Amino acid sequence: MSIKERGYTHWDGKLKESRFPWWPISRLGIRLTFKKKFFKFFFFLSLSPALAYLVGIYVSERMEEFRFMVQESVSFLQINPNYFKSYLTGDFLYFMIILILVFAASGLISDDLRHNSLQLYFSRPLKKRDYFMGKSSVIVFFLFILTMIPSLVLFLMKLIFSGSFKFFSTYPWLPLSIIGYSLLLTVFFSFYALFLSSLSPNRRYVAVLILGFYFFSDILFGIFKGIFHSHYFSLLSIKSNLQQVGALFFQQKTPYEISWVFSLLVLLGVCVLSALVLRKKVQGVRIIK
Amino acid sequence: MSVQVEDLSYSYGSLQALKGVSLHLPPGAVGLLGPNGAGKSTLLRILLGFLSPDKGEGKVLGYDIQNNQFMIRRFVGYMPENDCIIPGMDAVTFTSFMAELSGMPKQEAIKRAHEVLFYVGLEESRYRNLETYSGGMKQRLKLAQALVHDPRLIFLDEPTSGLDPGGRKEILKLIKEISTEKNIQTLISSHILSDIEEVCSYVVILNRGQLAAQGEMANLKQLHYRLYELKVKESNPQFWQRLKEIDCRIEETEEGLIKVYMSAGKSHQEIFKIAAEEGVQIRHFVKSQTRLEDLFAKVVGVD
Repeated sequence: MSIKERGYTHWDGKLKESRFPWWPISRLGIRLTFKKKFFKFFFFLSLSPALAYLVGIYVSERMEEFRFMVQESVSFLQINPNYFKSYLTGDFLYFMIILILVFAASGLISDDLRHNSLQLYFSRPLKKRDYFMGKSSVIVFFLFILTMIPSLVLFLMKLIFSGSFKFFSTYPWLPLSIIGYSLLLTVFFSFYALFLSSLSPNRRYVAVLILGFYFFSDILFGIFKGIFHSHYFSLLSIKSNLQQVGALFFQQKTPYEISWVFSLLVLLGVCVLSALVLRKKVQGVRIIK
Repeated sequence: MSVQVEDLSYSYGSLQALKGVSLHLPPGAVGLLGPNGAGKSTLLRILLGFLSPDKGEGKVLGYDIQNNQFMIRRFVGYMPENDCIIPGMDAVTFTSFMAELSGMPKQEAIKRAHEVLFYVGLEESRYRNLETYSGGMKQRLKLAQALVHDPRLIFLDEPTSGLDPGGRKEILKLIKEISTEKNIQTLISSHILSDIEEVCSYVVILNRGQLAAQGEMANLKQLHYRLYELKVKESNPQFWQRLKEIDCRIEETEEGLIKVYMSAGKSHQEIFKIAAEEGVQIRHFVKSQTRLEDLFAKVVGVD
């Protein structure tokens, strides 16, 4: 008997309270991102710096064999915390993170606003916190693949290629630094992207905002620094603030002559502001007063 | 009682959307009627916990609307009024995703999604991208997502809007089936009176945020008033005025037919008596069959 002939049937099971009610949102978000045009190309392209750094570690361990290739740039191939810092604070990696955000995060909330689907989420036993967890974990997934996982793999490969634990015993705190800084990058960019995604129901507009804010903040810093010759204007730039704090995590000299505390406060400020806006923007019903 | 609220009030800033509404809805299909801005959607949103009432209290399926919103949402299905989809996916993915959010295991959710999509008549297009769906298909999809977790109560906000006559008839048949034969309580908010009349046995009418009438459809239509249709030889304003004075509501149709809504306690003899006193000749007098439309016009005060 077909379902239509049989009519509506009740479900025998029992609805359960999940410990991770946000998980279906994350899974769906990741799946939909991979279905987007050109995403896979950019995603694999974004892993190219990690590959280059891996080659660097291999070459540094076989310096004698590659001496003919690396005459001048031996200093770059010194594997130390600065090597990992330069991977995680590199311009190209940041650029790729922004590109991945354009694909993966621009529509996360804006599509729900455009298609009125927030009421569908919140008519289910789902808290606002679960909704944000689900959405942000899509970003976390992709950014971990770009930051934490390759960095930890690089660290591991260094140990494997060198065939000893000397590097680990010299820098035992390095894995924690990698995890800590990757978490900071991920949390910051999650707030940044979700905040911008909640500002408009048009995902293309959000994509422009994600790219625009990042580059505009850096350009603004360049202009003011050129005019006033003050490093304090680095606080205007997202990239510079991340690099300042990155230097702290890897116990390196900060690139600008100001305290890293200011940069950390700026980044935290952006996160708090984003959280406040998100809380206001994401509602089960839109009330037009 | 599936839904009971006491003295519920809610304001959007200075605009009071609900003013002390008290309801006790029985099981079965209940129609929620009212003109635009009557407070129907606000009431549904409060019952689902989207909005917190300024005053009053209530229970849905025995769960408090302010403290047990998650339990309410687990056992209630909601079909919103406006189009809402999640872009980039097909109907099976969408419906099973909604089931998972309600707490259904993944495999069961997929199986159940297929079942309800067949049930609402989307079997042919269940693998099509949702963005290519017509308005009518989106309506069916919204019904499917409201039913997928097998709720004990469903809130349907304008369930037939955007449907062609055939589709409307089918959806109403489905709603009638689930509310009468499958023991799922249904609260339908609609401005299409004939839909409510066809499906619901109990009706609630809201007007300007207040309860205008509620009760069994049959009782409301018979007990509250009687409807007479009459034609007179020459219209006499004094005659109409005197009818209004005895609490009759009068409407004139385009065909020159006069509808007189008379309170249940009064006799139609009074119309003849006033006509005789005012010298009006009645040429046509019929006790008309009352419809929901008439009740609505009477209590809301609109044509």
